[in-house]
Amino acid sequence: MPAGLLSGIRVLDLGSGISGPWCAKILADYGAEVIKVETPGCGDSTRRMGPFAGDDPDPEKSLTFLYLNTNKKGVTLDPSSATGRKLLNRLLADADVLVENLPPAQSKAMGLDYESLAKVNPQLVVTSITPFGQTGPYRDFEATDIVTYALSGLMYHSGDSDKEPLRNVLDQSFYVAGANAAAATQVALFARLTSGEGQHVDVSAAACLGAHLVQPVPYYNYMGAVKGRRPVRGAGFEELMPARDGYVAPSVQGSQPWATVASLIGLEELQDEKFATGAGRIAHGEELKELLIKGLAQWDRRPLFIASGERRLVFGMAQDAGDLANCPHLQAREFFVDVDHPVVGQAQYPGMAVRLPGETITASEPAPLLGQHNAEVYGQELGYSSKDLVSLRTHGVI
Amino acid sequence: MPQAPLKNIRVLDLSRVFAMPFAGANLADLGAEVIKVDTCQTQFMDTTRTITGPFPDNQPGELWWEQGGTFQMLNRGKRSLTLDLRSEDSQAIIKDLVRVCDVVLENFTPRVMARFGLDYESLRAEKPDLIMVSNTGYGHSGPWSNFGAMASALEPTHGTGAFMGYMEEGPDGRMFEGQVPNKMGNSYSDFLATWTALGSLMAALLRRARTGEGQWIDLAMYQTGTTVIGTGVLDFAFNGRRSLRIGNRHPVWSPHGVYPCQGNDQWVAIAVRDQDDWLAFCHTIDAPNIASDPRFADPIDRRQNQEVLDDIIATWTSARTSYQVMESLQGAGVPAGPILTCKQALTDPQYAARGFFETVHNPAEVGLRTKGYVGRGWKFSKSEAAIKGPAPQLGEGNDYVLKELLGVDQARLKAFEEEWIIGHTPEGGGAPGTVPLEEQVVLGWIAEYDAGYLDHLPPTSEDR
Repeated sequence: MPAGLLSGIRVLDLGSGISGPWCAKILADYGAEVIKVETPGCGDSTRRMGPFAGDDPDPEKSLTFLYLNTNKKGVTLDPSSATGRKLLNRLLADADVLVENLPPAQSKAMGLDYESLAKVNPQLVVTSITPFGQTGPYRDFEATDIVTYALSGLMYHSGDSDKEPLRNVLDQSFYVAGANAAAATQVALFARLTSGEGQHVDVSAAACLGAHLVQPVPYYNYMGAVKGRRPVRGAGFEELMPARDGYVAPSVQGSQPWATVASLIGLEELQDEKFATGAGRIAHGEELKELLIKGLAQWDRRPLFIASGERRLVFGMAQDAGDLANCPHLQAREFFVDVDHPVVGQAQYPGMAVRLPGETITASEPAPLLGQHNAEVYGQELGYSSKDLVSLRTHGVI
Repeated sequence: MPQAPLKNIRVLDLSRVFAMPFAGANLADLGAEVIKVDTCQTQFMDTTRTITGPFPDNQPGELWWEQGGTFQMLNRGKRSLTLDLRSEDSQAIIKDLVRVCDVVLENFTPRVMARFGLDYESLRAEKPDLIMVSNTGYGHSGPWSNFGAMASALEPTHGTGAFMGYMEEGPDGRMFEGQVPNKMGNSYSDFLATWTALGSLMAALLRRARTGEGQWIDLAMYQTGTTVIGTGVLDFAFNGRRSLRIGNRHPVWSPHGVYPCQGNDQWVAIAVRDQDDWLAFCHTIDAPNIASDPRFADPIDRRQNQEVLDDIIATWTSARTSYQVMESLQGAGVPAGPILTCKQALTDPQYAARGFFETVHNPAEVGLRTKGYVGRGWKFSKSEAAIKGPAPQLGEGNDYVLKELLGVDQARLKAFEEEWIIGHTPEGGGAPGTVPLEEQVVLGWIAEYDAGYLDHLPPTSEDR
């Protein structure tokens, strides 16, 4: 069961890929009824994107698709056909939100631009998520995650300063955009409570990332400094450093004195007074880094992390997907949800970022098979007969 | 007339540092009245008021606690109320204030709010339909709940580093999957929490409007970071794979990566998605021979020979600026874009056309010039969203909040002043020291600095 915060809100997810579906999934997890609308035949582009369950490239086994589309119903329709458009308009009449992430020129060409949609339902909130937004000189640019990340200004800060900037392979731009879009969509729904009107929410993925520049921007416009990537010099604190079974992020931040840090790592030489101040740690950076490497080599990641937390220090540890799946803390928080999918079977999926006391969420509906809910939505809700449905399918509308 | 969507919402912002203050700033942009709880006790102040900086020309001025650039971005448009949360008087004021607020934001470790008697249950007793976001590293339950956290150490903990890392070079010159995790950096985890806080509290506000119920939102940054790598978590669940560190390469597309351009530390990102992109790319870089080279015939071949291909591409990009590469390739329909430095972002035509950096006029006495502040990634066709003004000066809203909102009498106000509960200047400590910019370059804290930066800022950020 999803949470009940948005019950009564109906969302049409015309998104494909990551940003739109992630936005709609967040709304679904808060309890909105989300109907995912896919193109007949091929469906959402993530159905063709790896990795796949069992490495079998089957459109029902794409892990990104399976993850991003839980708690949604799935229908197919072709909005560029007259009958498909009629179906879409029927769905629009009862919808509160439409989420789409087509390039601006394409949404206009398909009659999915805000003006056309608002004619059908003036109360509708239309959320459009694109790499650069609906306006400006880059609006029609071709962009993927890496290009969006680059042009946001954030990528310059990712990676090591002696190498090229580095991206995360899991398309982070579009997750940040989707999360922003989910928030902004709800702001528009909130505004509608007073105005009674829908509106267009124009989300630029690059600008969502650009908003993260709260430090680099004043560095430049206050003092002309260009912030870069992780320094290769320095004592190694606040950076990833090798431990016995992987990497950890030792930290001197927080309220505890140096002596606490030194005694945790447990190397006698670290107790030297010359390391006790920030200035001292900078001045003796190279020597300190060597000692730190020596001390951390005695530790495994998790025991060090827990010992740090118990001493009110804020060390981190580099975890991989397996570590997360087996994390006792995430299990105690009931973070993972059980999802049972008719094709790939049962698995534990990441749940919600927040816990909502009073709302119990332990399982999710699996992502829909392509067109799985056509009969339910078009038949039961819109009143099409089973004969009509056959005709729609024959003509490639659904 | 466009209206600000949250104009009737009042927010009590007890939060510090980055994530939740920025959520509060976004709420202020949307028209909410956001009251930031500040303090005169320097050692307990929000660290963005004290040590984070940056300060104008790297020189903290007489009013240094009003000048931090990051503090300004994160607290724009708020009111400031000074209190001393350790005192019972201040705790009582918070409870009185909660009765007239809709939303509380806080990010103390769980034990702290309980110690102040300001945990959700206690506050809900004052206001039954309260919506409160408690943002912590690990959440309010589970074995790690009382562990402190900061984004730079939390980012690897929540697993994003498993999907980010440079490739390593083998003895034959071939690159292979790397083992060393890396970071998005720039406090990435904080901002994930910002967006999650905004989304969840808007959902709670929508429900409150419908049913009258409040909601406590127990936001764990650790979980937030794990939700954005769901594909990776499922790849472990179904296929047993734990990580993928392939530099800037793409699992399928090729070529895909970052290439050097003219200038110091200038780069362009290029993504060739399919055969159409590939042919257009070969044509644009004026290398028709590579289009027919069997080593690069299809994406599988190109991935196998990407080292050779990357060298050819780098030769072409190195003779051009990153913007020139973008113009050529975008002209041919191939995804490409410069990796903008912040300096470049401030004057980039797309950000300029969207008005992304919003001009904020600072009062002359604070010693800050008119500045461009980062805006938001979304625009509304009908609702108003805009930065309302600079961050508040310390205790700027004391009179407004205590007298107008709560009706506190003059005698009590005087007592508060004497006990340093309310005031406009810090008690204890002094201006933080700063490291000269030349030295910061040597230490690697900044890439470079531009002494003539005032002449290179966009027009919106110039002195008026």
